[in-house]
Amino acid sequence: MEVVDIRPLLAPVLSFACAGLVFLMGRSFFWRCFWSVGAAATKLVVVMSMLPGTLKGTVYVFKLLDFTPGIGLGFRADALGMFFAVVSSTLWLITTIYAIGYMKTEHSQVRFFGFFALCVSATVGIAFAENLLTLFLFYETLTICTYPLVIHEETPEAMKAGRKYLTYTLLGGAFVLLGSVMTYDMAGTLTLSKPGILSMSSGVTSLTWLFVALVIGFGVKAAIMPLHGWLPSAMVAPTPVSALLHAVAVVKAGAFGLLRVFYNVFGVGVLRELPVVNWLAYLAVFTILAGSFVAIFQDNFKRRLAYSTISQLSYIVLGATMLTPFGATAAIAHIANQAFAKITMFFVAGAVQRTTGKTQIHELAGIGYRMPWTMAAYTVAALSFIGLPLTAGFVSKWYLSLGALEAGKWWLALVMIASSLLNAAYWLPVVYLAYFKAAPGTRLRIQEAEPMLLWPTLICAAYVIMLGLTTQVPGLPFSLAQAAVRFVFGM
Amino acid sequence: MPASALLVGVIIIPLVGAVLTPVVGGRSGRAAGPWALAVMLVTSAIALMLIVHVANVGPFSAYLGGWEPPYGIELRFDEFSASTSVICLLGTLSILFSFKYAEKELPPERIRYYYTLLLLNLTGMIGFVVTGDIFNLFVFMEILSLSGYALVAVSGERTAEMAAFKYLIMGAVSSLMVLFAIGLLYALTGSLNMADISVRLAGAEKAPAMLAIAAFTVGFMVKAALFPLHIWLPDAHAIAPSPVSAILSGLVVKTGLLGMIRIYQIYYGAKVLDLSALNTVLVWLGAISIVMGAFFAIFQEDIKMMLAYSTISNVGYIIMGLGLASQYGVIGAAVHIFNHALIKATLFLGAGAIIYRTGYRNLTDLRGIGRSMPLTTAAISIGAISIVGMPPTAGFLCKWYIALGAVEAGQPLFAVALVFGALFIFVYYIRMVNTFYFQEPVHPEILEVEEAPLSMLFPVLILAALCLIMGILGRIPLSFVEPAVTRLLAPLGG
Repeated sequence: MEVVDIRPLLAPVLSFACAGLVFLMGRSFFWRCFWSVGAAATKLVVVMSMLPGTLKGTVYVFKLLDFTPGIGLGFRADALGMFFAVVSSTLWLITTIYAIGYMKTEHSQVRFFGFFALCVSATVGIAFAENLLTLFLFYETLTICTYPLVIHEETPEAMKAGRKYLTYTLLGGAFVLLGSVMTYDMAGTLTLSKPGILSMSSGVTSLTWLFVALVIGFGVKAAIMPLHGWLPSAMVAPTPVSALLHAVAVVKAGAFGLLRVFYNVFGVGVLRELPVVNWLAYLAVFTILAGSFVAIFQDNFKRRLAYSTISQLSYIVLGATMLTPFGATAAIAHIANQAFAKITMFFVAGAVQRTTGKTQIHELAGIGYRMPWTMAAYTVAALSFIGLPLTAGFVSKWYLSLGALEAGKWWLALVMIASSLLNAAYWLPVVYLAYFKAAPGTRLRIQEAEPMLLWPTLICAAYVIMLGLTTQVPGLPFSLAQAAVRFVFGM
Repeated sequence: MPASALLVGVIIIPLVGAVLTPVVGGRSGRAAGPWALAVMLVTSAIALMLIVHVANVGPFSAYLGGWEPPYGIELRFDEFSASTSVICLLGTLSILFSFKYAEKELPPERIRYYYTLLLLNLTGMIGFVVTGDIFNLFVFMEILSLSGYALVAVSGERTAEMAAFKYLIMGAVSSLMVLFAIGLLYALTGSLNMADISVRLAGAEKAPAMLAIAAFTVGFMVKAALFPLHIWLPDAHAIAPSPVSAILSGLVVKTGLLGMIRIYQIYYGAKVLDLSALNTVLVWLGAISIVMGAFFAIFQEDIKMMLAYSTISNVGYIIMGLGLASQYGVIGAAVHIFNHALIKATLFLGAGAIIYRTGYRNLTDLRGIGRSMPLTTAAISIGAISIVGMPPTAGFLCKWYIALGAVEAGQPLFAVALVFGALFIFVYYIRMVNTFYFQEPVHPEILEVEEAPLSMLFPVLILAALCLIMGILGRIPLSFVEPAVTRLLAPLGG
């Protein structure tokens, strides 16, 4: 049932307005924090107010305007969009609080928080985009708004990373635009409100090209190898930004875009006829394994996290390529599961760096005694990545494996197991270092991170456990993922 | 007032205004600016009435002295002539912008001639787009070209004279080509009226008709600065005073494109030749133009030079759209003729305001200017976002429709060229925005600079707002152009 409602538009617009206020009044610490948290909080309230309706099957739509006949801006909060919006707005509020604590001593804070809030706006815009053009608009806005955050340090290294980031993501944006043009030519519409707008009558060759264009376009941000190069370099950004890039906004915008392409542009029926989908699955498998493999050899904490992200994101892609209900459930649910676990990790990395100044993994010996709470959070996240039951990661892996069997590709379940082992190989040594190897010559004394950094970390870790425990409780994102799957597969 | 009288007035008023400017302006030239502004305001009002009329009743004509074609001179106002509105708008704003510029940069005795030339140039353009007579087309083209050469040289500096001279040489060759082609058409058909030529050309010999369109194309493409005929443009546009650059880049190059559309109207209607070979060449040249223009722009230090090269890319878009000869492609091209004028004027006037305040024109010297001139740089940023084709700005529509046109015409590779050519353009505009906002100033005094004066700021902000509005309300220009494009392409059968 579709209901015309202004809230899908209101969610991005409110954060946009708050961003404007940050730019105007941000010189004062109080107002900067007030409007930043305000942007995140209002957005969360608006999004959450739609949740009960969405769970009942209501879809909120708001058509803003047409630039020219057939192309324009429209907003629509369906189950898949709501899923992404709920995850990102929850995490955003937490990240904003963390960022206030983390950035206290930094320069150019007005710019930082202003663009941070703009990113909030763009991400919800992506979630609620009713058509490919709206999606493209916010996708590009997100690219541009994260650029000032990546180059925040303004060092030559940061500027270089910023250039690399823009090169990759703008190229991706160009592919998305190209794909949108081709879609419009084939389907005569750009809407994302149907389970697929293309049909086989366009011919396998054209559809394959279109698929390639759109997958490259969104795949850049989803960091599918070999399109991942920007992500490790973008690690020069301040930690809250890395958390934002790697857990919530940017990479998930790519993954979400891919899901939209799969389920709302092509539709499962058409994709089953396209052999090229299998190639994407192989690429995803390669990325899962190669990303983890490279991560093992990274000593820099944040770089290891970056490669782990690359690997984890391809779970989503792999789940989507299975074209089965379980695979789709895993793909959608993993957006949340990976986000909460990865953001916990980044918060830990940032808290450790701010408290002790350590950025390399080999320096972390004995850190579990100094920062027990922080490292406890780390351990929970690490177990989730390995896929232990009772954590969020287990849910993803379970459904992915089910999906693989459902699709008759049992070897993909083996890939899951291999990936678990690789994850264990690079997350557990840190746990070992932290708890079982005291740093030589230092007295063990508790020196926890400050509350502004610690509490967001703990909350995220709690979410990781909650998502692993309570998949069937209505109101938590998982039920949204299932609703989205029912829509996609017409169940 | 009847529409035909208005149609005559839209040419006569600025022409008479131009002639009177030296008298009204006096020796000090102080009154020349306001006078020119008043003239353009009246002309704009008339243009607006004409556009309302054409939107209501469709294309209409006025016959000078009551002599009907093919014997008399016909003025014809159709949808493409609606570019008069953009000419008037940019003319008015550029004149307003010129107040401070002329006061600071020009010797007082030259000020009145500067405004005379500006008005003549605008008259030439208005005449060019509303005439229905091909010889008058040439006459108006000469008026706007000659005044254009002089305007480039107006500062009297040596480099300006050189640039103007280069422009003159290329321009003279192009005028010659066009005149030659007009001669050929006259010899073939015995007529100078466009509609009449189109009818009579149907049974004409093919070889001379082909020679004529080749000469037209080369002539107009020099004016439009299509690669590789662009070499005169960067110097001329970069060295001219900023308000003149805005007019040259935004409007004068477009006369070449509008001229091309007029020729297409004649030839498509006559069905005498299969133009697909010419179109293929144009699409390729358009694609090359996009990439080469952007490529050269990346290496420019001088902000105006960069903008000048960007014009070459944008002309490439338009030519590509025209050459594709598909409904969407031509619509995109036609709309971009309007929109690019607005966008490029925003950028040139904004850059002009910065140069006026700081005296610097190199990007490195301008680092940090975003902090001291926030409004101007914000306007330039909107222009930049628009020219790289981000939705919902004016530049997006052209990219979307021309790319769609390429896919529609079964040549998706040109859509690829267009979309990725646009990325190059992104590169140097990002560099510009970086300079404004994210880099430490080289000259500390740049942080002390005042915001641009109101007479400069106002036009820049209006134009920046239009860059957004024309994107959001894109259906207005689009619905306006669509019937004209449908009529243009109807003879192609499809």
